[in-house]
Amino acid sequence: MAIQIILLCGLVIFSALAILLKDLIKAALSLAVASLLLGIIFFRLAAPYAAVFEISVVAGLITVLFILTIALTKKGDEVTEARLVKLAFPVFLILFLVIDGLVMKSLLQKIPALPAGPEAGTFGEVLWKQRTFDLVAQVGVILAGVLAVLALFRKKEEDKDE
Amino acid sequence: MSNLWFLYLFFAALLVFIGLYCLLTMRNLIKLFIAVEVISKGVSLAIVATGAVKNNILLAQSLAITYVVVEVALVATALALIINIYKKNKSLDVRLLSKLKG
Repeated sequence: MAIQIILLCGLVIFSALAILLKDLIKAALSLAVASLLLGIIFFRLAAPYAAVFEISVVAGLITVLFILTIALTKKGDEVTEARLVKLAFPVFLILFLVIDGLVMKSLLQKIPALPAGPEAGTFGEVLWKQRTFDLVAQVGVILAGVLAVLALFRKKEEDKDE
Repeated sequence: MSNLWFLYLFFAALLVFIGLYCLLTMRNLIKLFIAVEVISKGVSLAIVATGAVKNNILLAQSLAITYVVVEVALVATALALIINIYKKNKSLDVRLLSKLKG
């Protein structure tokens, strides 16, 4: 329990750093560390497949995409944020912590949870037999993403002529 | 078990709050997408933790994996869009996009 709390606190701290740090590279790396911690939490929750996806795809691939974008947009650091944003953050955070602590427990009792028994079968059976439509949708989403990126990086006709 | 569920959802809500705060207050486009990532971390933590507490971890894992795939497609498209916006405006300031207002 203590290790879980430490991991969750680390996750929140690195996520907050990702938002508050001015240097975008450092922010992207903080986000990667947060993903890594989330992956470890998933491992400890007995969800190894989700953990592997979280670490390899989110901590790896998405961080690389972020760093690539930051490198391609060199003047991105020059955007000036309002000063009050960083000063007001701890105040709002403490306010939310209090509200979250007070409300969440009563909210959990009111959420109508479906009756759940112990699951049968393996992860593969659940993914391929129960969630088949999700897999089809995933293929559609990936295709849509690829087509969108291709369309966004399409060269103009004039560029081709040159 | 209820205490464990409370703990995970408490932190998941905290992550969503941090992301929403950044989305509402910051101006850098890349920071805004980092905020979207933080929110999605909170959501996937809530999915997997609820699955673990309710003895439905296999289903929760498959949902989390689907969520990660959607997240990757979203981030790839969004970052390509950001690069195009930067090429046009030479800045990542979100306020410059108000020119698009009709």
